[in-house]
Amino acid sequence: MKSVSELTDFYYKELYPQLSELEKTRIAILSQMKFYGVIGIVIFLVIALWIGKHFGLLSPFIIFLFIGIVALGGVIYNMLIRDYTKDFKERIITPLIQAIDPQLSYTPYLFLPRHLFERSALFNHSIDRYGGNDCVRGSVHNIPIEFSDIHAEYRTRDSKGKSQWHTLFRGLFLVAEFNKNFKSKTVVLPDLAEKTFGDLIGGWLQSINLSRDKVIQLDDPEFEKQFVVYGNDPIEARYILTHSMMQRIVDFQKKIPHPLFISFVQNHIHVAINTGKDLFEPSVFTSLLEYKQAMEYVNTLQYTIGLIEELKLSEKLWSKI
Amino acid sequence: MNILIVILILLVLITVLMYNSLIGKKNQVDNIFAGVDAVLKKRYDLIPNLVSSVERYMEHEKSVLEKVTELRAEALKPDLTNEQKIAYDQKFSALLGSITVAMEAYPDLKANENVIHLQRSLSEIEEQISAARRAYNQSVTNLNNAIEMFPTNLLAGWMNLSRRAVFEITHNERQNVNVKELFNRS
Repeated sequence: MKSVSELTDFYYKELYPQLSELEKTRIAILSQMKFYGVIGIVIFLVIALWIGKHFGLLSPFIIFLFIGIVALGGVIYNMLIRDYTKDFKERIITPLIQAIDPQLSYTPYLFLPRHLFERSALFNHSIDRYGGNDCVRGSVHNIPIEFSDIHAEYRTRDSKGKSQWHTLFRGLFLVAEFNKNFKSKTVVLPDLAEKTFGDLIGGWLQSINLSRDKVIQLDDPEFEKQFVVYGNDPIEARYILTHSMMQRIVDFQKKIPHPLFISFVQNHIHVAINTGKDLFEPSVFTSLLEYKQAMEYVNTLQYTIGLIEELKLSEKLWSKI
Repeated sequence: MNILIVILILLVLITVLMYNSLIGKKNQVDNIFAGVDAVLKKRYDLIPNLVSSVERYMEHEKSVLEKVTELRAEALKPDLTNEQKIAYDQKFSALLGSITVAMEAYPDLKANENVIHLQRSLSEIEEQISAARRAYNQSVTNLNNAIEMFPTNLLAGWMNLSRRAVFEITHNERQNVNVKELFNRS
């Protein structure tokens, strides 16, 4: 697999003609946005003054007007960047993924099905809205792998019956075949309780988590400090989480600045990286040619696809060959 | 008077909770040991096969192979205590390790498909055994802690619970196996 520096080279050298064309589009979109923005502000001010004159400045109409203008702005923004986004994914992200591994296929508008997300058992909350994009499928070192952006939300109602949406997970979700056979369910989550409340109270809080299986204490202090493991088979959990696997997970977590959720269910590994944003979207307000921007695309792809190598999932047990 | 009753009820409640948690821990140990036993058996089942396929080649190591067979028969006896089973597992791990090292000297053996098959199954079972050992050690540590720590130790003494042994990494396992010495000895 290509290294980050090789991929960054590829981004700047091979993709340069497409990048500079897209950069021109981006600048044009930005100036259009400024134009619409100014018009929007002028319209808002004129109507607000009119409302203020007739109904008073604190009238609720002004708030409605403001919300209306912002919503309209959102619609216009999406219309403006729609083609640009499509172009960017086709001409930049697709070749970038092909460069990492030609065996991978990329479909911008697809995402991993909901049943896989639910099977992972990473998030116990019910899901009321589920979506995503940027689906990558294929095999790396002969290991079937698929991942995409996922946004899962749930709804609550307050005392007035108003519904509110909450994000359960937003980020990258990956499923790959695991190199060992197992029947049990093992879930590895970031250890928030122990970090916040310390060993004693945090450990107790984890052990009374009724929505989860039993806590499994593992014999790697560094891993234990960062993660909490729930599972229904203490032996199989350790069969999956060998000392070297725990070390690799700790190392992987060091590489990424977001919380890592991993589960092992039905002979598959499920990884969710809670980035909190949509990945592989073109930047609108910063230049596509900026190094930091390029690094973000390259890094995200590299560590996601590199996970197979990182966790040595290709070292199959003989009985799985 | 009322306070006394409340304190009494609380004390009874705490005792019941402690009793139940101790029983829970003891059962967890037994439960996991059943898992350990199952994978250990799986390994013992492979031994006759392994011995019969390698003994034609390994003329010089006959005595070691005989010892493995003898040990297997002993380890499969019924009515062994957990401690004895643990001791047999440790002996087996050391012996099998030395056989694997000795096999390196026989190119024919390394090329034999049957032997490769056996070796791979053996290393897979070895991984399962290692996981089972770790799970068992953790549950024993939890039980031993409860037996020794205040105030559960008071109750544990009354319940006749005693410390259990854990799987230790033997001296042999930690050191590189000296094959020559091993074969000269017998």
